[in-house]
Amino acid sequence: MVNLEELKKEASQILKEGKVKYIIGLQSSSNGLLPVPAFIKNPEDVEKLVWNPACVYNLTLFLRDEKRRKAKEKEPDEKPVGIIVKGCDSRAINVLLQEEFIKRDDVYILGISCENTGVLDEKKLAKKLKGKKAEKVEFGEKDDFVITTEDGKIKIAAQEVLSERCLECKAHFPVIYDVLIGEKTKRNIENPFKSLERIESLPPEERWKFWKEQIDKCIRCYACRSVCPMCYCDECVVDTISFVVTPDTPAEEKAQKIKWLEKSPVSSENFVYHFVRAIHLTGRCIDCGECERVCPLDIPIRFLNKKLEKEAKELFDYEAGFDPDQPSLVSSFKDEDPEDFIR
Amino acid sequence: MKRTGIFVCHCGINIAGTVDVKKVAKELSKHKGVVHAEDYVYVCSDPGQNIIINAIKEKKLDSVVVACCSPTLHETTFRNTSKSAGLNAFQCEIANIREQCSWVHKDMEKATDKAIRITKSTVQRVRRNESLEPISVPVTRKAMVIGGGIAGIQSALDLANTGFEVILVERAPSIGGHMIQLSETFPTLDCSQCILTPKMVEVSKHPKIKLMTYSEVQDISGYVGNFKVKILKKPTYVDPDKCTLCDECTKVCPVVVPNEFDLGLTGRRAIYIPFPQAIPATFTLDIKSCPGLLPIACGKCADVCEPDAIDYDMKPEIVEEEVGAIIVATGYDLYEKELLTEYGYGKYPDVLDGLQFERLLSASGPTMGKILRPSDHKVPKEVVFIQCAGSRDPELHCAYCSKICCMYTAKHAMLYKHHVHDGQAYVFYIDIRSGGKDYEEFVQRAVENDGVLYLRGKVSKIFEDNGKIKVWGVDTLTGKDIEIDADMVVLATATRPSKGADELAKKLKIAMDKDGFLAEAHPKLRPVESVTSGMFLAGAAQAPKDIPEAVAQASGAAAKAISILSQDRLYHAPTVAKVNINLCTGCGMCVQVCPYDALSLKDGKAEVNEVLCEGCGTCSATCLRAAIQVKNMTPLQVNEMIKASLGG
Ligand SMILES: Cc1cc2nc3c(=O)[nH]c(=O)nc-3n(C[C@H](O)[C@H](O)[C@H](O)COP(=O)(O)OP(=O)(O)OC[C@H]3O[C@@H](n4cnc5c(N)ncnc54)[C@H](O)[C@@H]3O)c2cc1C
Ligand code: SF4
Ligand code: SF4
Ligand code: SF4
Ligand code: SF4
Repeated sequence: MVNLEELKKEASQILKEGKVKYIIGLQSSSNGLLPVPAFIKNPEDVEKLVWNPACVYNLTLFLRDEKRRKAKEKEPDEKPVGIIVKGCDSRAINVLLQEEFIKRDDVYILGISCENTGVLDEKKLAKKLKGKKAEKVEFGEKDDFVITTEDGKIKIAAQEVLSERCLECKAHFPVIYDVLIGEKTKRNIENPFKSLERIESLPPEERWKFWKEQIDKCIRCYACRSVCPMCYCDECVVDTISFVVTPDTPAEEKAQKIKWLEKSPVSSENFVYHFVRAIHLTGRCIDCGECERVCPLDIPIRFLNKKLEKEAKELFDYEAGFDPDQPSLVSSFKDEDPEDFIR
Repeated sequence: MKRTGIFVCHCGINIAGTVDVKKVAKELSKHKGVVHAEDYVYVCSDPGQNIIINAIKEKKLDSVVVACCSPTLHETTFRNTSKSAGLNAFQCEIANIREQCSWVHKDMEKATDKAIRITKSTVQRVRRNESLEPISVPVTRKAMVIGGGIAGIQSALDLANTGFEVILVERAPSIGGHMIQLSETFPTLDCSQCILTPKMVEVSKHPKIKLMTYSEVQDISGYVGNFKVKILKKPTYVDPDKCTLCDECTKVCPVVVPNEFDLGLTGRRAIYIPFPQAIPATFTLDIKSCPGLLPIACGKCADVCEPDAIDYDMKPEIVEEEVGAIIVATGYDLYEKELLTEYGYGKYPDVLDGLQFERLLSASGPTMGKILRPSDHKVPKEVVFIQCAGSRDPELHCAYCSKICCMYTAKHAMLYKHHVHDGQAYVFYIDIRSGGKDYEEFVQRAVENDGVLYLRGKVSKIFEDNGKIKVWGVDTLTGKDIEIDADMVVLATATRPSKGADELAKKLKIAMDKDGFLAEAHPKLRPVESVTSGMFLAGAAQAPKDIPEAVAQASGAAAKAISILSQDRLYHAPTVAKVNINLCTGCGMCVQVCPYDALSLKDGKAEVNEVLCEGCGTCSATCLRAAIQVKNMTPLQVNEMIKASLGG
């Protein structure tokens, strides 16, 4: 079990030593089970930090805001920011490094191992509790979670309420960090693409039907994009509005802007959005599952990314976020790649 | 809205036979923005071009689409035509309705419809074309030739005699290549060394040629007219200026290794001169076979070297050079012994390859020009020559014909008979390919004057039996089984690209064909150019070749290089990539993917080297943020072209 006190101690120390500007972590919320992000500057405030199975967020998302903020400052503080990451989140840092979005010196990484568990799926937990409200979740002594409800504490095996991505996780402890909290325990995962089987086994017409139904639901709130640490582009190609107007866009360039898709959330445009995003995340998505979690319409977006992750693995033996020095999937070509049509 | 003119070419019946060109012109005349559309039998002809010029002037056209053959053929023609009428050349685009339409379809109605769509989509493209001016760059008036065989030597001499400086890079200790190993050359039977060595000497004495032997190209960057190369000069441990060729060192060197020059028929020392006429005329210490340079390990050679030419402290050296053009003439090697086990090659000492036999025939060879077999130094009385050993065998070996073997086998059999009058030469062949001036006559001479017995068929088995090499085969003309008790067998083994040619090709970014020979840009029209501009090919590196062909190509390559070096500036197509700084996040994917190394990151944004960029568009297809696009082929243009092709 991860020791929260150890995390606090490390956090307070780096703040005291002035090693970091501030630390991005999580604190408990007055509203609901899930914590909320905390930006901690003072060593005293580290007491606010929490770490429990409800810490589902991928905080690397905030590195994007940090970068934008810094770009605006006249005399930016060059000190790194501290950031608390799980295994999956740490892979995002590697991708951001690989894409030179951040530099290694920009971050001080407090890595936390998930040891034998992971984070929970709120929906699974709600089902399990049959309507009872969970007030608090904690890591248990072994591979279980301790849930506090109005009736007191109960223990539930983690496996039963873990989120799907944790069940298919490839990074049970951070792959890049400055400080590691917890043990480097490796869980045995037989098939990291198991959840896909459900859809892959469907005949094409059924699959199409499934996706059409799902994608048609999308209201294009772009929550999935906003929460994605890889969707850090200043202007997303699907935003036809912001795409055109900046005061200093030369006329010649304006004339070259394309409206790739209409804003209206109709089937064809929704498909274009989701296909574009899936393709843009191929070889970059690190499966933190955040897009799917935040979708207000429960669209299983993760499957799209997961499927492409599988293709990348099988066709090119490529995995995102384990090596910040590897060339990106779309821009690398290995002689050993199975395709023999290009020589 | 632009004012576009359309010119639909019949290309005789090449296009008009399948595409209703009148209909194409008529349909296009209705298209938005098209103010002129007409068809003509040959638009590329003088009157055809005049039609364009007149239309541009009369109808005040600001853009032109010629629906005709592939842009690789007449794009330049029509751009120049447009320019001469006062238009910017890049306001002219080609709609390919021949290669991509009439030639590949039969159904007139459908082909016509397709031609209309292709042309419409090109109109959509040209409508958004920018007017561009070619990019101009200065030229480094110096060339590099890689490989010092006859091809490389010829190219270097042609360049140098025209007045350009040349760096000739050869990885062996001496230039000469394979030709210096040959005895006499078909079809005239002049002595190979006698005709080659004067050229070698000329190279070594030429004030414009910088000869770098025992050297290899390590790295290359830049572009046509302005290449930067790094050449690794391996240490020879002998100072060529001091070495007097006294040969004292080899007398004390304790090491004996197979002599490459004689293909292992003789031995050499660790310190050696490849052959007496070597250029540069100096000894080389082969560090791989020397037990070590420390005087404790051996040090004998330095002890006896009177002029103190041996320097154990010599270090590898990297020489940086700038050149404007490069000629690759890395030649060939013979098919490896290990790959050709079926003929007892490498197993029986009296089964030789062609080059070994050349050494036996050579007056300077291991036997002083006497034909003696390696195993017991007896004169072989029955010699079997086997053609196509490893060639024309797609299943097991090389699919291609090595081209030179028919001729040199006839030469071998003939020369053998000149040496051993009472001997018998047999040649197993599939068929005889003797195309070339005096080549057929040469083969006939071997048969008629020298009684060489040509047997059409394949050898099924070769084995040693009682001091003889038994050769079993079939004569497919008579259907008879053949059994020969041979004293010696000579294999005309396939020729292959020289070892390491693939690595070099990667460094130079020039393509290879399926067999590993360096690929020419066009098999018919650009046979001496590689696909990379400013790099040319010469000799057997490009395909198996004999000496006259290698020399002809070498001179061709030199002429091509001169056509670059003789210019003050070179012009480069301005249809290059352009970065939208606002959208670029500096992820660097385009940098990694650019096949021409034209991109780099500067201050966190992609930057295009316009001279290197070939406008291939790979970056544009890779960028997630649509932040990089090729001028006059922007995503917007592509988008509209697709729409037009789909009938929208
Ligand atoms: C048995 C035999 C007999 C023949 N007889 C005849 C004949 O009678 N008449 C005839 O016309 N032709 C004959 N030929 C063909 C003739 O040998 C070739 O046509 C000729 O040698 C081709 O010259 P080249 O310069 O292209 O290649 P090569 O002679 O192979 O020269 C290539 C040179 O490049 C160098 N090199 C290779 N790689 C590198 C590198 N990476 N960096 C630097 N240097 C490099 C090599 O060391 C070599 O010096 C015969 C061939 C054989 C095998
Ligand atoms: S998939 Fe869900 S989160 Fe994403 S845009 Fe559509 S509705 Fe919003
Ligand atoms: S969908 Fe693509 S372009 Fe849009 S934000 Fe994500 S990665 Fe960037
Ligand atoms: S791929 Fe696009 S975003 Fe990335 S560096 Fe190149 S131009 Fe910029
Ligand atoms: S268009 Fe091709 S050559 Fe030019 S920068 Fe892009 S990838 Fe490189």
